[in-house]
Amino acid sequence: MELNSDETLWYFLKKGETSAFTILFKKYYPQLHAYGIKMSNAPEITEDCLQNFFIQLFEEREKYGKIKNLKAYLFVSFKRRLIKQLQKKQENIPISETQLIKTNFTFSAEELSVHQEIQFLCTKTLNQLLNQLSPRQKEVVYLKYYSGMNTADISEVLDMNYQSVLNVLQKAMNKLRLASENEQIKSILKKS
Amino acid sequence: MNDKKHFNLDYFLEDPSFVNWAKGLNKNDCQYWKTWIQNNTQHIETIENAKAILLGIKFKKQFPKAEKVNEELSKILPKINATSLKKNNKKSLPIRKVIYFSTAAIVLFLVSWSSIAFLNDYNTTAHKTNYGEIIDLKLPDGTSVVLNGNSEISYKKNNPRLLYLEGEAYFKVKPIPSTKTKFWVLTNDLKVEVLGTQFHVNTRKKRTKVVLDEGSIHLEFKNGDVTKMNPGELVSFSTESEKVIHKKVTGETPFALWRGGTYTFNEISLKEVMSNLEYTYGIQVRYESEPLKDLLISGGIPNQNLKICIAAIEKATDTRIIHNGNILRIQKNPIN
Repeated sequence: MELNSDETLWYFLKKGETSAFTILFKKYYPQLHAYGIKMSNAPEITEDCLQNFFIQLFEEREKYGKIKNLKAYLFVSFKRRLIKQLQKKQENIPISETQLIKTNFTFSAEELSVHQEIQFLCTKTLNQLLNQLSPRQKEVVYLKYYSGMNTADISEVLDMNYQSVLNVLQKAMNKLRLASENEQIKSILKKS
Repeated sequence: MNDKKHFNLDYFLEDPSFVNWAKGLNKNDCQYWKTWIQNNTQHIETIENAKAILLGIKFKKQFPKAEKVNEELSKILPKINATSLKKNNKKSLPIRKVIYFSTAAIVLFLVSWSSIAFLNDYNTTAHKTNYGEIIDLKLPDGTSVVLNGNSEISYKKNNPRLLYLEGEAYFKVKPIPSTKTKFWVLTNDLKVEVLGTQFHVNTRKKRTKVVLDEGSIHLEFKNGDVTKMNPGELVSFSTESEKVIHKKVTGETPFALWRGGTYTFNEISLKEVMSNLEYTYGIQVRYESEPLKDLLISGGIPNQNLKICIAAIEKATDTRIIHNGNILRIQKNPIN
């Protein structure tokens, strides 16, 4: 059972409790760090941005109203901030958010566990398939399986409705599944 | 029937037995779904997709190490400490003052109201708390009392060291070595006799429970029996059943921890946690199903605001709690 629930932490953080801030920081810094690097491919910018993000969160705590889903809120507002930062760096050529994610958001074979539940795909093939997904599909897959979010969280972070998130997820996993079935058929044919 | 609408992706993802089948966890579930699929082949596509979503992709997650996180935190903490101090000095002082004065006025009003009500009859002073309210009291002899919600203490003006308690309170008794004057707490079930010490008394649930933190005390039960308590011990007695429990409490006592404004639980069942709230806030709790009562909770829950309290418990147990009037209904969380 998880304690130090987000509601409790947020309640005390709003009251100016630095201890609640510390717990919250330790809880979410790692995940936001990984998410930021995935989006930016630039550890330095991500870390600077993440520092300022947390400082602002504490300094402006009184401005915030009630936050229903803190994890989703942190992801979405950090993402917005980071994207703005990345766009600033690209002054001469304006770049859209989708464009940024399309170029930066890639998976590597080293990130994948060798033992996958979806069988008959080696990490190399699986990695190739993942990188062929659309930017939206990649993000959904990342938030679901890397950040451990549920569908409701993801729909808030990506500003999509619940059903659309499920549809995107279904399409992405369908591609992987069909590829896995193909591999399976191939391996059976080889044997016979 | 509208099969298509009903057996959509969400339907399968939400079904715990389906999840078991997809992950090959439960033999019965596996058998059930195998047969079901054979009889409903039109849904095979959705089922395979649902299965793929549940099995998911396993990442070797690369999060920064704890040392790195601590290092980053140590860069930030001085900055936010500085800003929180600055703010306190400049801006919020006047506001704080107003709040302070207004609460003082309310407390005064309450105390004087309750005092007058009892003064008229018995020359007695009483302090009573509302649901969810915790008050710190200093008695005339210097003893401090923390009174939990929905509780009352009263004492005669001429003897402030003999007091009557209904509900739950924590006492820090001031010793008077020169005269060795004792201090007594009376409940429906027993009398606590003290020289100078810290202890916790709870009279809820038709019995009195005493936990001793420091010093030593004597208890005299309504049936005439007498017992002595040592620090770290708990004694519970009910006049109705004449049942006595006398045992050592390990670790920090969960019983007295509400006094800091937080309920702290260590692997305590939801049922027990909720019964605490029932008494403190005067509410009733209903469970959708029996197994919910046995969910375990560990950690601290702020207890001065029922709303936050409920939200914290919902998160900790992954349940949905519906608050309607005086009734809390506990259900399994439908989303997940």
